[in-house]
Amino acid sequence: MTRSIDYDLMRLLHGELPADEARTLRARIFTDPELAQAYRRLESTWQGLSLPPASPVPPGFAGRVMARVKSKPAASLSWSAAPGWARATAAAALLVGATLGIGVGRRWPAPARSVDQGSEASQTFLSATAETSLADSYWNLVEDVATGDAAEAQP
Amino acid sequence: MATDSATSAASDPGWESLARVAAGDAAAFAPLVESHQERLLHLCERLLGDAEEARDAAQEVFLKAYRKAGAVRPQGQVYTWLYRIAVNHCLNKLRRRRLVRFLRWDDPEERQAPAFDPPDAGADPAAALDARRRWQATRRAIARLPENQRSVLVLVRFEGLSYKQVAAVLGITEGAVESRLFRAMRRLESAQEAEGSRVSLEEAKP
Repeated sequence: MTRSIDYDLMRLLHGELPADEARTLRARIFTDPELAQAYRRLESTWQGLSLPPASPVPPGFAGRVMARVKSKPAASLSWSAAPGWARATAAAALLVGATLGIGVGRRWPAPARSVDQGSEASQTFLSATAETSLADSYWNLVEDVATGDAAEAQP
Repeated sequence: MATDSATSAASDPGWESLARVAAGDAAAFAPLVESHQERLLHLCERLLGDAEEARDAAQEVFLKAYRKAGAVRPQGQVYTWLYRIAVNHCLNKLRRRRLVRFLRWDDPEERQAPAFDPPDAGADPAAALDARRRWQATRRAIARLPENQRSVLVLVRFEGLSYKQVAAVLGITEGAVESRLFRAMRRLESAQEAEGSRVSLEEAKP
């Protein structure tokens, strides 16, 4: 079976094939067992993909977003406004920091969590959460500086 | 599904809100959050596989949108732009997650499948178990896809976007969407076959 037919079968499955082409292909599928089998396999893979229903919007979500938005003026949040040399210097500094961080992290990996360790486990969890949060902020900064968010400025 | 077109910017009132935000009116951002929060939360959850993490991610996406309000050029629908920010943000989070695992020497297989919501208590237990098994298999399969294929698959399969809409969100051609989706389908076919063998083996155990 050619690659083109495979693509057409996928387009048909996703409703992306123009109506007349879809009609022709359906007729072919009806008479060609090999094509019919290929389509069924594709359909079965697609329909087999299943995820639980997405969680509902948590109450007060929009309010929390707006509280964060209002806590800082828009300009102070943006690295895009910074001059190029400042962004380049910051990016270099952050890259050095990341490299050092990777080295340190590899030498001292975090202790494994255990449900049997009671309060000790809670403390480990709390420190891991704080670490993740700090890491998230750090990488947000790295990405903002490195990309300048230019691509996302274009819709 | 959102309507698609080479829609004029004027038809989406979200651009007007963003223009007001750019002019210093922070409150003008509220209607935008209200109208897009559900879709963005769902998208983040689909991409990250974790509701808690998705909430944080969606908040960050809105903050990014807020600070970019002055730089964006109104074109098409606002949701397309928001989706693009969300996809980039979630993919970055996934990269970071992998890096953290690497730093901690975690076993990637062990942490591949995130926690699951319990199935509906009123449902048939066998059906619930089956559904849960399919969710787990789907999440595992999606998690193993390369990023570019994963985002296309989630947008088409779970967000119901057309190829054209996905192309607009990701800033790629429709041909690229098709090609990534096709390669994802091939990988998923293999994964489902392997999963089927695994389930059969587990069921055969005494």
